[in-house]
Amino acid sequence: MITQEEIRKIAKLAKLYVSEEEIGSLTEDMARIIAFADTINAAADTQEPFDSIQSLQNALREDVVRPSYPQEEILRNVNGGEDGYFRTKQSREG
Amino acid sequence: MAVQGKIAALRGRMLRREVSCEEITRAYLDAIEKKNGALNAYVLTTPDTALHTARAVDAKIARGETLAPLEGIPMTLKDNISTKGIETTCCSRILKGYSPIYNASVWEKLAGQNAVLLGKTNMDEFAMGSTCETSCFGGANNPYDLDRVAGGSSGGVASAVGGGMAAYGLGSDTGGSVRQPASFCGLVGLKPTYGAVSRYGLIAYASSFDQIGPITVTAADAAAVCDAICFYDEQDSTSVPRRYEPAAGALEQDLRGVRIGVAKEFMQAVQPAVLKAVEEAIAVYRSLGAEIVELSLSTLSIALPVYYILACAEASSNLGRYDGIRYGYQAGTAGNLNECICRTRSEGFGPEVQRRILLGTYVLSAGYFDAYYKKAQTLRGAVVRSFDEAFAKCDFLLAPTAPVTAFRHGRAAANPIETYQSDICTVPVNIAGLPALSLPCGFDPDGMPIGLQLIGRAFDEKTLLAAAHRFEQATDGAYLCREVLA
Amino acid sequence: MRQYEMIAGLETHVELSTKTKIFCGCTTAFGSEPNTHCCPVCTGMPGTLPKLNARVVEYAVRAGLATGCRINRISKMDRKNYVYPDLPKAYQISQYDKPLCEWGRIELSNGRTIRITRIHIEEDAGKLVHVRGNTLVDYNRGGVPLIEIVTEPDFRSADEIREYLETLQLTMKTIGVSDCKMQEGSLRCDVNISVRPVGSETFGTRTEIKNMNSFTYMEKAVAYETERQIDLIESGGTVVQETRRYDEASGMTESMRGKEDADDYRYFREPDLVTIAVTDEQIEQWQADMPELPRHRLDRYTNQLQLPAADAALLVKYPRIAAYFDEAAQGVNARTVANFILGALFRRLPTDAEKENAAFPVPAAYLHDLAALIDGGKLNMNLAKTTFEKMLDTGKPVSDLLTQADLAGLDAEALAAVCRAAVENNPAAVADIRAGKEKAMGALIGYVMKATRGKADAGAATALLKQLIG
Repeated sequence: MITQEEIRKIAKLAKLYVSEEEIGSLTEDMARIIAFADTINAAADTQEPFDSIQSLQNALREDVVRPSYPQEEILRNVNGGEDGYFRTKQSREG
Repeated sequence: MAVQGKIAALRGRMLRREVSCEEITRAYLDAIEKKNGALNAYVLTTPDTALHTARAVDAKIARGETLAPLEGIPMTLKDNISTKGIETTCCSRILKGYSPIYNASVWEKLAGQNAVLLGKTNMDEFAMGSTCETSCFGGANNPYDLDRVAGGSSGGVASAVGGGMAAYGLGSDTGGSVRQPASFCGLVGLKPTYGAVSRYGLIAYASSFDQIGPITVTAADAAAVCDAICFYDEQDSTSVPRRYEPAAGALEQDLRGVRIGVAKEFMQAVQPAVLKAVEEAIAVYRSLGAEIVELSLSTLSIALPVYYILACAEASSNLGRYDGIRYGYQAGTAGNLNECICRTRSEGFGPEVQRRILLGTYVLSAGYFDAYYKKAQTLRGAVVRSFDEAFAKCDFLLAPTAPVTAFRHGRAAANPIETYQSDICTVPVNIAGLPALSLPCGFDPDGMPIGLQLIGRAFDEKTLLAAAHRFEQATDGAYLCREVLA
Repeated sequence: MRQYEMIAGLETHVELSTKTKIFCGCTTAFGSEPNTHCCPVCTGMPGTLPKLNARVVEYAVRAGLATGCRINRISKMDRKNYVYPDLPKAYQISQYDKPLCEWGRIELSNGRTIRITRIHIEEDAGKLVHVRGNTLVDYNRGGVPLIEIVTEPDFRSADEIREYLETLQLTMKTIGVSDCKMQEGSLRCDVNISVRPVGSETFGTRTEIKNMNSFTYMEKAVAYETERQIDLIESGGTVVQETRRYDEASGMTESMRGKEDADDYRYFREPDLVTIAVTDEQIEQWQADMPELPRHRLDRYTNQLQLPAADAALLVKYPRIAAYFDEAAQGVNARTVANFILGALFRRLPTDAEKENAAFPVPAAYLHDLAALIDGGKLNMNLAKTTFEKMLDTGKPVSDLLTQADLAGLDAEALAAVCRAAVENNPAAVADIRAGKEKAMGALIGYVMKATRGKADAGAATALLKQLIG
């Protein structure tokens, strides 16, 4: 049975914030969903490896330059950004 | 009765100059105006671009130029198909206001042929759901009964087409998201073979399952759209380079001697009305000369957990990019970077999306990878092989699309697992990457439509479309959405 | 105090010199305004898909062949998931358990071998600029192709690391897959480092020092970290497995993150890309047109051409210089050619960068012609040296700078006549020589050279003069 602590750890990896009020019900939901996922263990083990749904190989592109997008297009969804950059909070730790 | 497709009918009237493209477009825009309040199919309408395109088409007709098959036909796109300069949100708060700077390849192609885009349609948030109710805009309603869901995740497309607010629409199908809403709304829904339609610009839910497909009124309509959207796209590495054989001209196939497989596993836990309708459909096919082959697909029992593990794993990775830095919703700037990102995601994603991200993260994380992801991946192979074995015995498979008819609103939220179970008939097809089609085959005692699913060999959409067309002919179009077809 | 040895392994990131990024057609050109070498794909816009650059596969396999790796005929791409603003998709497309190349080696001059575990391809991240409490993000570098070359823990000193990196750098430059410019970040490495008492068979706990892009800092960081670990153990502490950063200002390494969950990358196969297959024919082709590798070139210069080891190493260090040398030395005395290059030419290309770029004032063929004249006895070394300087000044061939008379040579009779004149016209010097002042010979030789415009062979003239003076 998955614990609240494990849910917190997974949420941290997934970059989701879980409040104290939610953690109880979320853990219960996740326990049910994981129990459902566990039903694959009912299946007989198959040894045949499976790699990919397709057998395609080498979908490759030639090394030819294509025009990039204008800076203002790239930054269109952040109101033009800041001095040509995307801006975010200070990412340095500590 | 010869059932004519909706698209062919509109095209004929335009070409005969009985009605202009602009008039047709205005009629659809009026319908949206009148009905969308009740159906909630559209989350965004684009009347100006629609009318602009329509006038261009009328000018071409006036000049006597030839039209591409879908040219001038008013249509809609699910809100996860990227449209340059037109807000594309996946019906998620986290993408509110996001305006793509490029077109999805499929839309690029259709726009180049003057498809008339009426607007973007409702869906479960990031296509995660079976009812359309996880949409941040609220769910779409079923044209047959407003108290019921239109299905999901492409519920908005089905509601729009079924409600006469678009001639056809493109949805996406990851675990049944085109077929199930088509089934709930009495329409035809086609999920093409994985790799047949470009995914470039389709905002990913689960990359190895997702496939764009049409929701239409008839099989002939589906064939016309299928022919337009199946092409090799060099921008999508999983797009299969192959010569595409058009389906539209090959619908009149004789079914005598064709072997139709019926797997008993598909018929279990199905509502009695659904079972009855499917059995009647089998009888129709038998009467058309097809041979019914009973067989077994034992791997169906593990299909659902395999699907949820793999799809959620891919989703957890695909949805990692929504951090508020480059586009979309951003929670306030309080706290450090990590806190900002976490808050943005927790406020931006709804509960079902968060549950699936958590499950996906869990099954990929250290210590659990082998037991879940790796095992599910191996079992995916087993499902693929069991379909291969089935197709050694038959030309295509027949099954219900969903074990039930359209749910009443609010049922999904109460029990996520039970809702997952309702995908049992559609999910195996995505696991194996096969083409499948849902067509209306009956009504339950409440008058709600029932969907019949045909599942084909890889890249054999043609056979499914022809078989569906034959069924429509043989049943005089009795189960089709007649009001809309008229 | 016990004696300790350091054990290190390296992960080196080498930027490939393809024209376009690994998954889109944007240019890899360095510099320029932020976010101008970008498109929806390399900025991770929703719905975009990667398309692998064929040349990236080729270059990585070439790098593998040059380092003796086994090439995996079937390989695949994987996602490495972690959230950071420089990674727009929140995963890096890399290779996890099926890299393109495995099990290679690089030999060191001390006879030891560094085993290469693997070489895989991946995408670079964007650049972060930290200003006024904010972080600005530029994705121009995002999606530039990299190979990561991972070694076994085979290093025992910072010197070995340096030599390995220099050899690697030179090899990649020679085969043309990377320019390996450390200052532009196109070669950077992470060092995994541990210490153990000499004689011990087991490894100690290692730390990883990230992202060093200068030899000097790498050496300082390794030295500091080795000392730190030894001090820690000697004082009864234990080394913690962690990632550390070298701070250039303080000269110390410091812990970067102690987060317990930081390293759960949740690798899984990239579903948006298909299997990579490399054929035997491709490998044969790439093997066949592989240029001579630095190691082999060095052997040839010292063994076959008999160049002094130090001279050979200097030539080999700069692939363009070596190619110039090879062309000029065709069929003539290689040492003569080497001396001209390492002397006069190197004085004109004083910096490393100039030697790298090697903008030669004259074509190799001109130097070859000069050397041929010397070999043929038509030109003595003195005149040849001044002529080469003139060639470098003017860019002209020998034939433009020397007259027929200059090249006519000096027959024995003419030389004898000039020598006789020298003796006759310099009685004082002759007297000094007779008195045992050998130095005075210089004046006579000077006379001979002046009279012959430098054509006389100094050795022959000295012998003749001695004979005349008796």
